[in-house]
Amino acid sequence: MLNVKAYLKPDTVQSAYEMGQIPGSLYVSGGLMVAQLKISNVERIVDLKSVGLTHIEDHSDVFKIGANVKISDLISNPYLANLNGDLLKNSIKEIGSTQIRNMATLGGSIAFKLGWSDIITIFMILDSNLEIYDGEFSKISLQEYVKKSPKGVIITEIEVPKSGGIAVFEKFAKSNFDIATLNLGLKVVLDGQIVKDACVVVGSRPMVSQRIKEVEEFLIGKQLNGITKDACDLMERVVQVGSDIRASAEYRKALSRFLLDKALRRV
Amino acid sequence: MKTLIQEKLNVVNTSIEKVDGKALVRGKPVFTDDFDLPNTLTVKILRSPHAHAIIKSIDTSKAMIEGVACILTYKDVPHVIYTRAGQGYPEPSPYDTFVLDRKVRYVGDGVAIIAAENQSIAEKAMKLIKVDYEILPSILDYEHAMDKDAPIIHDELEISGAYDPKRNIAAHYEMEIGNVEEELKKCDYVVDETYHTPNQSHAMMEPHGAISYFDPNGRLTVISSTQVPFHARRIIKRIFGVNCRVIKPRIGGGFGGKQALHVEPYVVAVTLKTGKPAKCIYSREETMTASNTRHAMRFRARAGAMKDGTLVALELWGLSNTGAYGEHALTVFMVGGSKTLPLYNKVKAVKFGGDVVYSNTEPAGAFRGYGAPQGMFPIDSILDELAYKIGMDPIEFKLKNSIREGETSPIFKIMGEGREGVDQIINSCKIEECAVNGAKKFGWYEKRKRPRIDPERQIAHGYGVAFAMQGSSIPAIDMGGATIKMNDDGTFNLLVGATDLGTGSDTILAQIAAEVLHTKVEKIIVYSSDTDMTPFDKGAYASSTTYVSGNAVKKAAERMKVEILKAASEIMNKPTHTLELDEDSVVSEDGDTLSFGDLQTKLFYTFNQRQLEVTESFVSEVAPPPYLVSFAEVEIDLGSGKVRVVDFLNYVDCGVPINPVLAKGQVEGASAQGIGMALFEDHMMDKNGRLITDDFFNYKIPARGDIGSIKVRFARSYEPTGPFGAKSVSEIGLDTPGPAIANAIFDAVGIRMRKLPIKSEDLFFEIKKKGL
Amino acid sequence: MKVTIKINGKVQSVEIEPGEMLLETLRRLGYKGVKHACSTASCGACSVQIDGKPVLSCTTFTAAVDGHEVMTIEGFSDENSLSDIQKALIEEGGSQCGFCIPGLVVTSEALLRENPNPTRQEVIDYLKGNLCRCTGYESQTLAILKVAKERQSK
Ligand SMILES: Cc1cc2nc3c(=O)[nH]c(=O)nc-3n(C[C@H](O)[C@H](O)[C@H](O)COP(=O)(O)OP(=O)(O)OC[C@H]3O[C@@H](n4cnc5c(N)ncnc54)[C@H](O)[C@@H]3O)c2cc1C
Ligand code: FES
Ligand code: FES
Repeated sequence: MLNVKAYLKPDTVQSAYEMGQIPGSLYVSGGLMVAQLKISNVERIVDLKSVGLTHIEDHSDVFKIGANVKISDLISNPYLANLNGDLLKNSIKEIGSTQIRNMATLGGSIAFKLGWSDIITIFMILDSNLEIYDGEFSKISLQEYVKKSPKGVIITEIEVPKSGGIAVFEKFAKSNFDIATLNLGLKVVLDGQIVKDACVVVGSRPMVSQRIKEVEEFLIGKQLNGITKDACDLMERVVQVGSDIRASAEYRKALSRFLLDKALRRV
Repeated sequence: MKTLIQEKLNVVNTSIEKVDGKALVRGKPVFTDDFDLPNTLTVKILRSPHAHAIIKSIDTSKAMIEGVACILTYKDVPHVIYTRAGQGYPEPSPYDTFVLDRKVRYVGDGVAIIAAENQSIAEKAMKLIKVDYEILPSILDYEHAMDKDAPIIHDELEISGAYDPKRNIAAHYEMEIGNVEEELKKCDYVVDETYHTPNQSHAMMEPHGAISYFDPNGRLTVISSTQVPFHARRIIKRIFGVNCRVIKPRIGGGFGGKQALHVEPYVVAVTLKTGKPAKCIYSREETMTASNTRHAMRFRARAGAMKDGTLVALELWGLSNTGAYGEHALTVFMVGGSKTLPLYNKVKAVKFGGDVVYSNTEPAGAFRGYGAPQGMFPIDSILDELAYKIGMDPIEFKLKNSIREGETSPIFKIMGEGREGVDQIINSCKIEECAVNGAKKFGWYEKRKRPRIDPERQIAHGYGVAFAMQGSSIPAIDMGGATIKMNDDGTFNLLVGATDLGTGSDTILAQIAAEVLHTKVEKIIVYSSDTDMTPFDKGAYASSTTYVSGNAVKKAAERMKVEILKAASEIMNKPTHTLELDEDSVVSEDGDTLSFGDLQTKLFYTFNQRQLEVTESFVSEVAPPPYLVSFAEVEIDLGSGKVRVVDFLNYVDCGVPINPVLAKGQVEGASAQGIGMALFEDHMMDKNGRLITDDFFNYKIPARGDIGSIKVRFARSYEPTGPFGAKSVSEIGLDTPGPAIANAIFDAVGIRMRKLPIKSEDLFFEIKKKGL
Repeated sequence: MKVTIKINGKVQSVEIEPGEMLLETLRRLGYKGVKHACSTASCGACSVQIDGKPVLSCTTFTAAVDGHEVMTIEGFSDENSLSDIQKALIEEGGSQCGFCIPGLVVTSEALLRENPNPTRQEVIDYLKGNLCRCTGYESQTLAILKVAKERQSK
């Protein structure tokens, strides 16, 4: 049990934001992480689920996904699930467990900026943008958001561009039901055999997910065949990783190579 | 599922449903935490944040907020030294523990007991207790416990039974048969290596917990999730000087973790102080950090053999970590030798010994296998290494040197439970069948012909085998009792002290009684583990329940049969030798029948009135070992070092399985825990000695899908001293996964991993070093 | 605060603390089949269904369940009979100590509703958040597959 004085259920994003500005307030969506917090300065829980934001909209060039959509519902829209070569369809099942996916929301999974978040890696490869509210609505790329960590803002929507290309997600974990020791996402847009565009993201480094520009640049303009080894060498050299209880930095480097190799074989 | 039997049996050797099965799958309120008594106080424990410290002062005055019933510190509880270990009395474990002490010896050691109206008040009060500690230097790495400048962990005057507490040695043991040193010199091949096994957590799903209260007549009653209700009662009496009744409800797994007193003294202290019911249920974090673990051990093993594959000498010299307290220190260590070495009884010389040391880590205790997995890992590994050196198939080598029916080992006599053991000739040993049929079933020879490394997929496959034995009870110590009472509706009450922890012992005991009494299991109403109601039983440990408690039930049922026949002979007016039991009745040669119900009804009301009731006890004289040969196939990702157990086959000789499905479940479950110990379960501490892996998020027990299929096959075996031919089955499965997997990894990539758990990271760097 | 929850088909109005977890509420109300084994969303013992979907009650705020429908293990069988999943778990030896079983049954019911004919791998994937320390999982997986088959043939 959390020792709080109130559990509030605002109707609108605006009123939620106002409640959130009072010191001692904490937003909750899925609640999985909030329920486990061991902090005592929270007095008020502001439940964002009551404001809705559970839409998945298919626009001509983007998907718009409400922040309160559950991880398990991400694949309920077949078009979204099949985007970029079934990226979501293939990767969502790697996240947590059935129960966790039924509880965790997309917004909560991003806002917490967990280093080991698979969701951040997956949506970063998709070049997603966030709609956030901090008194007014604005847009920010997921990459920027993770870097800046703006305080007190509410994530209201995630926008996924319908770009071409094939994307894959790889996760290395000790157990079948475990967070990633390292995760990796790769998207390539091909022109025949030539890589026209590439996006490479590594997460659970154990720091939060990051794009690996050097590897992306290396891939662009090359033929996919025969570059795996060089790409992996480069990855191992440039990726920034750290040590924690799950793995040493040195091992994480090796894993980044291992996962990139697997990903390149898959695309 | 039915396996071969040697007697004509009706109920035994069939997979009937667990007698408690329906209640459990319905989620009925049968566990300790499910019992709610009015006005129960919630008990919480303030625990030490330091690994080793003296409480200079402790101030509870600010914490006595509204709703707090009492806060107890070391000043308020009896200063009686004891051991938490639930073992036969007098215990071979040192007396080195107080309910609360001025000194704390690991992060998690108890500092104060808080009892309040509810959990949030108790937690609030806990934060308001002020403790001033004098922090002492600590020993976090047990391999340094005997260093010259190491701090002394147990300097209390009252300590007794520890080997050399001034040097942090809780226990010491050594024995030698023949002369290992001399024999090794004569060997063609010698291997000398050091092996490590980890301090695995039991991770039973139900956390530790207990409730205490005064019943309406003022008798202190404790409901506890324990494997040892009778030992708990005895130890509570020792500490508090009060008699009590201990009731064990259903238990959500124990695996040895509950073969010790954890929570009972805390709630009893509160009930005695306040007169009120008190309940304490550990959080997962407390269960992980402040209960007990497997003893981590380091063994230097030496083994020598001749070119023809004759094993000549074997030595294990070990160091075991008992953590902050010495429960089960000596006995677990000894089992590392006593239930492993007799398997290779043909050696000319064998030596076993070493020290069990204190350190400022969570206490170690009993854990399924009880030292045998720690001993079997080095033994089986080193034999595998030898076989490879000799150039012999490991199955052939291990089989050639292992024990057979009709043989014995001097170790049975030399090594017992913390003292001398008991001689025994092996009456049943089907290890050869296990190895030969197992190899066939697994496809050992065909698989070993395949290439191991697939360079294209960067994957390696390997195949390993491991042999094991265990015991069935602690001979000349373990005692179990059973009472059978006949009812006028044709049912029987079976009262046993034996402790069912989810293992299904209530069921198999009912099967044994039903078999003897020619009735159905539904007619046997089992009531177990209530110290005021049932006869004594030592508790659930040492693989003894089927063997010891099973034999007690069989004896009691046989005597009940005699009583029934006697009474029937009087009523039916026919000599007893013309009477037999058949389908809930007594039948005579000439076709007369008297149903059990009618018999007891007559005895109640009209004829030579009496209640038929018998009590019998059984003490084991021998501990017939079960045997196991396990085969593992692993798949290794060369790019990450990740190991997957694809296939794990157990071929087991446990005598006649009383209930094949339950027996299979025991082996399957033990294999899973063994695979956990081999590949997944790892404890990590921060530099202050706080466990970081203190929940299921960071301490990974194998999840569904982490293990390929685990298969179990039974050898055709019959143990003449066991009830209906049965031996034990619940522990042995944990002995083989460690070595079988390590051997399979060697087979795949030629790398010997001598430390469990085998982490993918470590294996990866070894693979890289080898340039694979 | 007060919330209204439909539990196993019965609408109940319950007084709760604002920071209370559903697990605590349910156990207080007598649904003891909901088991507490970890609090970190890592074991599945506390699984219940909310609006038909399996979730973890140890990390669900009761306040958030106001107006929703909860099913606990107690709702999946009555005093006289067991559900087919419960029966199969007993027959296959999939239940030893039984502590993980309520959560497993509640989750498996959802699995078979969503995917009446799962493959072995699908069973494993769906149930991977339900830890069991007693069995090696194999017997439980077999039990669920058996029930799926039986339900299909009906
Ligand atoms: C055992 C376990 C295993 C897991 N395994 C994985 C895994 O394998 N892969 C993976 O990617 N994740 C995993 N997760 C994480 C999970 O998927 C979610 O990311 C996480 O639980 C947070 O989602 P939530 O909706 O429950 O957030 P909450 O707990 O509700 O909130 C999390 C944080 O975000 C804030 N917040 C919530 N919503 C918003 C919003 N819309 N705008 C701004 N701030 C907001 C809250 O204030 C809080 O600080 C695991 C979690 C657990 C407990
Ligand atoms: S108790 Fe909820 S997942 Fe373990
Ligand atoms: S049956 Fe005991 S935890 Fe699953």
